[in-house]
Amino acid sequence: VRCQLFPPQRPLQASAVLRRVSDEQKEPLASSSQQQFDSHPADHHPEQEPQGPRPSYTGQGGQESEDYESEEQLQHRILTAALEFVPEHGWTAEAIAEGAKTLGLSVAAAGMFHSDGSELVLHFVSHCNTKLAELLEKEQKLVQLGEAEKKPTEQFLRDAVEARLRMLIPYIEKWPQALSILLLPHNIPSSLSLLTSMIDDIWHYAGDQSTDFNWYTRRAVLTGIYNTSELVMMQDSSPDFEDTWRFLENRVADAMNMGNAANQVQSTGEAVVQGLMGAAVTVS
Amino acid sequence: AAGLCPCRALLTGRSGALRAFCGSVRGLAAAPETHFGFQTVTEEERREKIYKVFESVAKKYDVMNDSMTLGIHRVWKDILVHKMNPSPGTLLLDVAGGTGDIAFRFINYVRSVRKHQLQQKLKHHQNLSWQEISESYQEDKSKSLGDSQVVVCDINKEMLKVGKQKAQHLGYSEGLSWVLGNAEELPFDDDQFDVYTIAFGIRNVTRIDLALQEAYRVLKPGGRFLCLEFSHVNNPLLSRLYDLYSFQVIPVLGEVIAGDWKSYQYLVESIRRFPAQEEFTAMIEDAGFFKVDYQNLNWGIVAIHSGFKL
Repeated sequence: VRCQLFPPQRPLQASAVLRRVSDEQKEPLASSSQQQFDSHPADHHPEQEPQGPRPSYTGQGGQESEDYESEEQLQHRILTAALEFVPEHGWTAEAIAEGAKTLGLSVAAAGMFHSDGSELVLHFVSHCNTKLAELLEKEQKLVQLGEAEKKPTEQFLRDAVEARLRMLIPYIEKWPQALSILLLPHNIPSSLSLLTSMIDDIWHYAGDQSTDFNWYTRRAVLTGIYNTSELVMMQDSSPDFEDTWRFLENRVADAMNMGNAANQVQSTGEAVVQGLMGAAVTVS
Repeated sequence: AAGLCPCRALLTGRSGALRAFCGSVRGLAAAPETHFGFQTVTEEERREKIYKVFESVAKKYDVMNDSMTLGIHRVWKDILVHKMNPSPGTLLLDVAGGTGDIAFRFINYVRSVRKHQLQQKLKHHQNLSWQEISESYQEDKSKSLGDSQVVVCDINKEMLKVGKQKAQHLGYSEGLSWVLGNAEELPFDDDQFDVYTIAFGIRNVTRIDLALQEAYRVLKPGGRFLCLEFSHVNNPLLSRLYDLYSFQVIPVLGEVIAGDWKSYQYLVESIRRFPAQEEFTAMIEDAGFFKVDYQNLNWGIVAIHSGFKL
């Protein structure tokens, strides 16, 4: 829903910072990955020079929704800038304050966020998930164009989970802290929803089109694989995390075998039941 | 005291009309009218009267605060500084900060954050060279506040005098300055401060809109506005008890402890005259602040309003 743009009726001053946000976004639209995940395109300029008073609707609703959008954009920018300081300060309000400083804002701007660093972690996780989705989208396009082979499911899952886990490598020292923040009660709804949508994305690009109970089983299994691999990665000290990738390989193989085993169990079960029925008929 | 039962609806209607009147004839009338407690006075008269009120209560200000609020005002001020969560290096402007309560709390908070930071740093550096160790000792000595500073600004000389004496008595010297100034016209340049606070002061300002505009002006981009002030209680039962306490007990306390019934009568009336939470939020937004929000303390007896210069 596009909201209408009206200049806010500030009597004496226009916004000091948000205009700069809209100015900067005019330039590097193409390459930077930050822009790709800022969901609002740069044409939502909140603060163009007001050309005289606009006579029509400037109700609080319209004004607020316009400001709300650009406030969010600014918050995203601050959090993205803050990621750089996470290795040093951890996932904390201090990292956010440092991030705000690099954007030319006062350190007090960190007061816009929770003091426990929750928003920073959630922002990062959401960013990684978006990057993963783009990566998988690109690979799918290559397969569709015939430029790449379609991977078998096992390989696909392994590569997707590995790609996603590799995004944690720059922050691996402080990742345990991030995990504990994600498990705080007030964050669980958000973190759970991010996790499930990521797993859902992976299965979607793996070509899963199931509409039966398999849908749930597949997602539960992959969630288990992802979480356990993440935990193994926390305490992995091998070069380039080889142990983690080997662990991942084994778990995915187990999951595939489990699928086969389930089928075998079912057919064996059917055979046993038939045998018993036959025996019962024979006896009686 | 019995005759001063506040007919709030009538009076807020009147004050609304008065404000509109003031706005429209500003610059034309010689003496725009406003309120002093429940009286009607001109703006100049109001400023003089308020100056006299605080001149006379200055010496007993802290004692009266403790007895009127049963010491709870200390908790409110602690909550304000906790909400601010200042990091070392923050520049604070505390307006109408007279006796320094917020300033001292700010200094304590920043000191303890700084100490914690230095401890963390030392913990992580397992293998320090002698050079690094000696440097860290030097840093400790000179930067216990980490470059944080607080400027206390007040319009009233007596209140500042009491504040300076308190600072000396409690041993606060570093990072603290005292400036005489009017909240409607601050003696500072633009874009100077990280945080602007005004605790229990803004209802005494005659032109609140000017004070908010000045706050916006002197804050850096990204800076934060925090206001701690008495506000509107919604709960009807509590509101009745609160009115009873305010109008029957507080002026009596004022007479007994400070020998000044009238000043505390004014105090209580001025609380009733101050706009409610939502209206004040709108005023702050009008001055240009974003992400304006408020937090009620004690069911609305006190509220903290916060806004950012974005």
